[in-house]
Amino acid sequence: MGKYFDFERFIDTIPKIIPQLSVTFSIVLVSMIVGTVLAIAVAVLRIQRIPVLHQILGIYISFMRGTPLLVQMMVVYYGLPLLVQGLFGININTWSTIIFVDIAFILNEGAFLGEIFRSAILSIPPIQSEAGYSIGMTRLQTFTRIVLPQTIRIIIPSYGVDLIGVFQNTSLVFTIGGVLDIMGKAKTLGTATGHALEAYLVVALIFIILSLILRFLFFLINQKLQYERR
Amino acid sequence: MSFSSENFFDSLQGAIAYLPVTFKLTIYTFVISLFIGGTIAIIRNYKVPMISQFLAWFVTIYNGLPLMVALVIYNLLFMTNYDNVARFFHISKTISEINPVIVGYFSLILSSSCSYSETIRGALQSIEQVQYEAGYAIGLSKLQTLYRIILPQLVPVAIPGLINNLVGTIKGTNLVSAIGILEIMGGALTPCALSYSYLEGYLAAALVYWLFSFVLETLAKQIEVRSTKFRRQIV
Repeated sequence: MGKYFDFERFIDTIPKIIPQLSVTFSIVLVSMIVGTVLAIAVAVLRIQRIPVLHQILGIYISFMRGTPLLVQMMVVYYGLPLLVQGLFGININTWSTIIFVDIAFILNEGAFLGEIFRSAILSIPPIQSEAGYSIGMTRLQTFTRIVLPQTIRIIIPSYGVDLIGVFQNTSLVFTIGGVLDIMGKAKTLGTATGHALEAYLVVALIFIILSLILRFLFFLINQKLQYERR
Repeated sequence: MSFSSENFFDSLQGAIAYLPVTFKLTIYTFVISLFIGGTIAIIRNYKVPMISQFLAWFVTIYNGLPLMVALVIYNLLFMTNYDNVARFFHISKTISEINPVIVGYFSLILSSSCSYSETIRGALQSIEQVQYEAGYAIGLSKLQTLYRIILPQLVPVAIPGLINNLVGTIKGTNLVSAIGILEIMGGALTPCALSYSYLEGYLAAALVYWLFSFVLETLAKQIEVRSTKFRRQIV
């Protein structure tokens, strides 16, 4: 077996793992984009305080906040086929695992981003909406043209933290089996060659570097959006 | 395959039986990380030369490492290097006698300390410079100012962030199942191996986690209300 940690093997592993980043990125992208849409809907509906829906959304957010993502992922993975079979009679067991992972991540993000959006929307002074109504805009127009653009600047810092969180959470996906993201690839390489340490260290390095880059990017965006300070 | 309530209750019992494991993991990690994280935050706040720069780098870099990756790496290192280290320190226990939960504790505490330290440091920065000066002006030493003036004001500011961190730690304890430690999820899945009722198992685990974090969060909110009492009295 030779040395336990070999630097050459470490270098050799990097090109094998890098291509799998596309899987990781696809999970992050899909869950962030669809999750943001879901989150805005959740936030708006929560602010409207529609009687029964308000409580249901409260339970949804509390569940997503209080249970580990790994468990949520598994509940979606085992539960969704059963639910769809029962409701529509369609068999979705043959779907690729990554779709279930995406759905779990989207639901999770809908709750977390929903809370971020809710507090951001509430922090916009009501006078802004009133201004919109007074010039004859409808409620939807006021929201999409006046309120929503103003929230973007407020949510950027929390959005960045959340995005990095999602990126790091993709390291859980390999436990479900059958998804070859960077962590899953490292595990397969480890079992195939018997040298898992180098592969996992490459993954750790990728996570650290990309997290730092993302953090720096959001720092720059935030700097750019500080209009009053200039 | 359909939902069976019988299997669900079996799993629920299994999950509740392992609730103490998660409870212990959460509380020990929280208390120790609070102490270490607080120390890191104070060192960085006072800008102790060398150490504060090192800690700043370490915390920034370590925050980029997902807990799962760290856990897997530490577990690998533990498995392969334990014998050498034990021989060096003349420890006669073999690896099979050591509970792998120490690896779980190590990675949980290390990553929690880093995230808690950021929360506490954020709270420390919200305390105005005048407070330190007031302490020094009445002849308190640096340490006395810290303990009697700064820290009491820090508590109510830091608590909301720390509650978030506590919920994060509860969810983090779930990951130690990846290195073969039985906690709520492992307990809930034990009956599933026979009946293949994994949905029921995971739902039971989710329910127990949900209740557990709800109870801890409610308790922590009570502490928050108590700690801000003095503010309400002034106003």
